Amino acid sequence: MNRARDDILARLDAARTPRVEPPRPPTAPPGMDDPPAFLRARLEEAGGRLQMAAARNWPDEIEWPLDRTAVRHLHSALPIVPSRGLGLDATTDRELDGLEICILRAEFAVAESGAVWQVPSSPRERVAALLAEHLIVVVDATEIVATLHHAYQRIDPARSAFGWFLCGPSKTADIEQSLVLGAHGPRTLDLIVTNA
Amino acid sequence: MGHVERAARFVADPERTRWHDEALWHVRTRRDAAARLVPDWEDLREQAAAIKRHALGRLPELWQAFETNASRAGTIVHWARDAREHNEIVYRLLQERGIRRVVKSKSMLTEECGLNPHLGKRGIEIVDTDLGERIVQLRREAPSHIVMPAIHLRRREIGELFEREMGGPKGIDDPEALTALARRDLRARFLAAEAGLTGVNFAVAETGGFVVVTNEGNADLGTALPDLHIASVGLEKILPKQGDLAPFLRLLARSATGQAMTAYTSHFRGPRPPSPAAPPDRPGSDGRRDPELHIVIVDNGRSRLLGTPAFREALACIRCGACLNTCPVYRRSGGHSYEATIPGPIGSVLETARDSRTHAELPFACSLCGSCSEVCPVRIPLHRQLLAFRESISSDDPHRRLRRWGLDLLGRVMLRPAHYERLGRWGRAFARRLPGTWLEGLLGPWTRHRSLPTLPSRSFRELHRERVKARAAREDGR
Ligand code: SF4
Repeated sequence: MNRARDDILARLDAARTPRVEPPRPPTAPPGMDDPPAFLRARLEEAGGRLQMAAARNWPDEIEWPLDRTAVRHLHSALPIVPSRGLGLDATTDRELDGLEICILRAEFAVAESGAVWQVPSSPRERVAALLAEHLIVVVDATEIVATLHHAYQRIDPARSAFGWFLCGPSKTADIEQSLVLGAHGPRTLDLIVTNA
Repeated sequence: MGHVERAARFVADPERTRWHDEALWHVRTRRDAAARLVPDWEDLREQAAAIKRHALGRLPELWQAFETNASRAGTIVHWARDAREHNEIVYRLLQERGIRRVVKSKSMLTEECGLNPHLGKRGIEIVDTDLGERIVQLRREAPSHIVMPAIHLRRREIGELFEREMGGPKGIDDPEALTALARRDLRARFLAAEAGLTGVNFAVAETGGFVVVTNEGNADLGTALPDLHIASVGLEKILPKQGDLAPFLRLLARSATGQAMTAYTSHFRGPRPPSPAAPPDRPGSDGRRDPELHIVIVDNGRSRLLGTPAFREALACIRCGACLNTCPVYRRSGGHSYEATIPGPIGSVLETARDSRTHAELPFACSLCGSCSEVCPVRIPLHRQLLAFRESISSDDPHRRLRRWGLDLLGRVMLRPAHYERLGRWGRAFARRLPGTWLEGLLGPWTRHRSLPTLPSRSFRELHRERVKARAAREDGR
């Protein structure tokens, strides 16, 4: 097996590719005038929805993807909305199938990409975010960066085994290029941008 | 059968051809619109190309650093010289754990290696979970596009397929309803899967991590539930630093579909921590095994390509598909006409570089319009590479002697105006007696839909002489 490794490394050495200096670090990408507006536009193109609300009582201010009072199974990473149903008492990851809403906190949003950077606090939280019908992601209004260049300056790879950018709900256009939301994962994504 | 004959089968359905052409062109225009919104787009392309040039110049160091950092994070690293070794490694990992049900998200590499048939023959059920890939898997076909695998099919055909394979209602052809049907069918398979296989879009040497992007979330569902995740990565996919991801991710989705970003851009680095064990009395109790993450680094001809300076640049490809969408030949001939894992301009380059005998025709499935090189986010000079292939293929053309002889003859005639004129006269007289379609198919497929214009009865020189004579006569008469 390590024969394969040594062989491959030897072949790569033998290819004698010219060594090219690393590119000079990119000049900072041009800034943008109104990052929140950019974020909203890109997110809407991706089939998501952006809502601004007050951090203190956003759950009462926003428009919910479902009638909030009728939701039986909800997983929430934020104490302001308590989990219920399966979100509370599923004992295995797979039992989360049937979850109606999953609420996550994102670390920051990337305006140019219409995306948020999120690190699930546990593997189960990631499963919940994938199996739920509707996803709500909460991010602080002060935490909007312009581009992915700025984003990667903030991401510490050693912090966790997994992290993701999320941009709108799960989607496909594999049948005649017509866009369908909710290919495998959530059918909707609401990004709640909270002000102090 | 060559590319031309296979393309002929595709265009036999003009309605499908027109739709295919227009749908892909629409994707191309969406790409343009998305690129225009990025003020530093051209800088980004240059940056991405420079990072790739740099990375391809030091693959051994980068992969060794990757191996060290990945192992430190708990990822198990495997190396495969070719497709067979790759398939055996994957099979062994599954077999050792008694795994029979596997879900896979899109990976052109496993397609190239023929992983599905390899596992299928050994009794492992492997389900492609990207909707387009699932469709072609159920039809026992190859994908016809690297980003949109089922772009050659119409909704009606997919409806009939789902009716048969998923018990869908008769006459179903609404994309919403079809997707819902597939979602239900695949959700059950995700929940039952014992291992998830994925490709890799970018590996990062500095962190030992890697990134997988999807719009459907299938790579995530496929790896979040099972305890075993095996990722397959080609040697060319490595980037030195985490920050290098930024230019590539800003380019990739915009080039591919015109989206700002894919819905899921997942960063893996090491196996996930085990989920809390379920009480033993619960059905589907997970947590039996600690989650494992394996990565298989595959050569399969890449190191050879790296050693060929003319085609090294093709290894920078990030598989966005933009060159396919823009290519006038691809759009009108369909992906299957290339009979190659990767179709379109980049496929013609890669496949011909791999095996120039089998694919000798592909460099000619090109109008040299250069549109592919224009859209390529990593600035691969695709059309110039295809031209270079043409030259090297033509130089060992069996008809070379004949061609030489013909050109010699032509040269001799052109040097003697009298011969030239006489031959021209005979030729015109002769050709006018032939049926208008005499050229058809005579000189291979190129002449099949072409005919010569009707030849005039007199040559330019003759006409000119007559005019001069007539004018002289008029002037004399005055
Ligand atoms: S060659 Fe360039 S345009 Fe074509 S798929 Fe690769 S990266 Fe995209």
